Amino acid sequence: MRTGKNPAKDGLPAYTPHRLGIALIVYIPFTQGYFENSLQVFGYQLASLRAATSEPFDLLVFDNGSCLEAVSKLKDLHALGQIDWLVLSAHNMGKAGAWNWIFAAMPNELICYADSDVLFRPGWLPASLQVLQAFPKAGMVGAQPNFYDVMEGEGQAHQALHFDPEYRFGDYWPDQGTVDEYCFGIGANDELAAQFHNTPLPSITHQPSDTQAILGASHMQFIIPRQVARQVVPLPATRGLLRAETMSLDHKIDQLGYLHLSTPRAHVFHMGNTVNERLLQEVEQITAIPASHETARKRAPARASRTQRWLTSLAKRPRFQRLLLRAYNLLFRVLYSESQEK
Amino acid sequence: MRIGQNPAKSIDSVPQPARVTVAIVTYIPFLSGYYAQSLDVLKACLESIWGNTDPPYDLLVFDNASCPETRAFLTGAHQQNRIQYLVLSDKNVGKGGAWNFIFQAVPGEFIAYADSDIRFYPGWLSSSLAILDAYPRAGMVTACPMRTPEAFYTTTLEWARQESGATLENGKYIPWEVYLQHVLSLGTSEEQAREWYKSRSDWRLTFNGIQALIGAAHFQFTVRKTIIQEFVPFSMNRPMGQVRSLDEQINQAGYLRLTTCEPLVTHMGNRVPEGTSPRSAASPGRSRSLFDLPFIRKPLLRLYDAIFRLYHQ
Repeated sequence: MRTGKNPAKDGLPAYTPHRLGIALIVYIPFTQGYFENSLQVFGYQLASLRAATSEPFDLLVFDNGSCLEAVSKLKDLHALGQIDWLVLSAHNMGKAGAWNWIFAAMPNELICYADSDVLFRPGWLPASLQVLQAFPKAGMVGAQPNFYDVMEGEGQAHQALHFDPEYRFGDYWPDQGTVDEYCFGIGANDELAAQFHNTPLPSITHQPSDTQAILGASHMQFIIPRQVARQVVPLPATRGLLRAETMSLDHKIDQLGYLHLSTPRAHVFHMGNTVNERLLQEVEQITAIPASHETARKRAPARASRTQRWLTSLAKRPRFQRLLLRAYNLLFRVLYSESQEK
Repeated sequence: MRIGQNPAKSIDSVPQPARVTVAIVTYIPFLSGYYAQSLDVLKACLESIWGNTDPPYDLLVFDNASCPETRAFLTGAHQQNRIQYLVLSDKNVGKGGAWNFIFQAVPGEFIAYADSDIRFYPGWLSSSLAILDAYPRAGMVTACPMRTPEAFYTTTLEWARQESGATLENGKYIPWEVYLQHVLSLGTSEEQAREWYKSRSDWRLTFNGIQALIGAAHFQFTVRKTIIQEFVPFSMNRPMGQVRSLDEQINQAGYLRLTTCEPLVTHMGNRVPEGTSPRSAASPGRSRSLFDLPFIRKPLLRLYDAIFRLYHQ
């Protein structure tokens, strides 16, 4: 039975969310192989967010079934007040499945989504907000120029602006450093990099405010207004990371008449799953905190043994590579499927 | 930069959500005073869900900024896969704020909501779903018969009087003991309860072969997600006291407010009922498998790591 009065009923104010909510999806099923540096990279992301975001925000981290070590780290960060809402899922719901939670439930007027390997630079928010203000029909605004049209030319929403004299369409040539950085981030080969260097990006300018934006936005990081986010869910979610499922977000946004846009300058950077000196230097610049060189040193090549050299040369042969990849994926499935039943 | 392909891309399928998401909101800021027994009450609540829920379900717990002891218990239960979704809020966003999150985000077709001081008995969920399936306009279904203000069920009465297939009866269908137990749990005196019981009666409905009483309350109810989503977002500027508007809104929107005829949940309040301390119930927890054994898992992880390095060197 109830004894006494619940103190929570005494008219105390509940927390009111900030205008901006930032949501990150974390998936670190183990801390080896592909995911060896993932926790460290995530730490840099959080530090850069805190240092480079110019207004208060609520941070939601959605853990999509990570290993105990990763979850433990997230719980520690939450206990330290670094994470406002920590959602722990017992299993991986897929990226689209996690988006369904985030886009449906985040109470903030503006929802910024980012993968857990994105570095934020000072100025990312004002630049994104400028685009959002200049383009009232903006549905997704990324803080890095979009180099790859996920809609593959099928996007229709921007066509309506061709008849609006306030807007001007054109080409935008990003500077070489921006293209190089993008190519480095995705691990592009020389051929692909050359394509990016030689192709201008489609741009649109809001002439009264002289605000230019690139047409297109990446799934890696973007701001989506809450009123748009609520309209796009639920997204199909049957696989871990299936392009068709994540792309359904783009199709819905376009069908609703909202634009995919991104800033002309790169205010965010894809760190990926590796840590190197260049990244550490930038982290130090942004956060003014010395970044750990531990991993960079650890990964420095030691003198390889004869067996290692032989295995390395063998690994360059396509047949052996295919074999290694099959073994790697098989092991991942074994380890992953067991994690799923955790 | 990214080296290698994200293994998440090779995940062929992800577990699909259960038809029902059972959702609990917790708020235990400290373990003294009013909340001295609240953690034990919460444990009893969750144990009763794990032990007495038959249809498949996912369990979501939204913790609204509780104390470390409560969080430690919840995260432990999550690690054992006894809680499928655990939301830890750093600040108390109010019950309305928690509802806004839950009712918009959860993946189940049905949401079975309860405060964290409710005890569940066998059949509570299947009986609630049976009513929801049988009554096409059913909004909220509470798994405990109770009397609520008539202003909250005018729509249900109106529907019952107009629906030719429905049988509506008036009488005393809630046993005195059941009524008394619930009213006492709210802190009301027995004398007052006796007076209320004598002065009022109950409405009983039968439709599609399923009996239900007219009522329902926001401390525990099962609802279709599509229906509850019509009413979000709720005002959330106070921790409590604003959620009763849901009862009014459901009625005003033309949905039925019903309860089971049997008491299948009880309100514990902030004291664990005597003789019912938390027990270990059977639960769908994690079953350890061969690959969980450290001497098997560790070498596999090492091999996995070695292949990754070799492949991407």
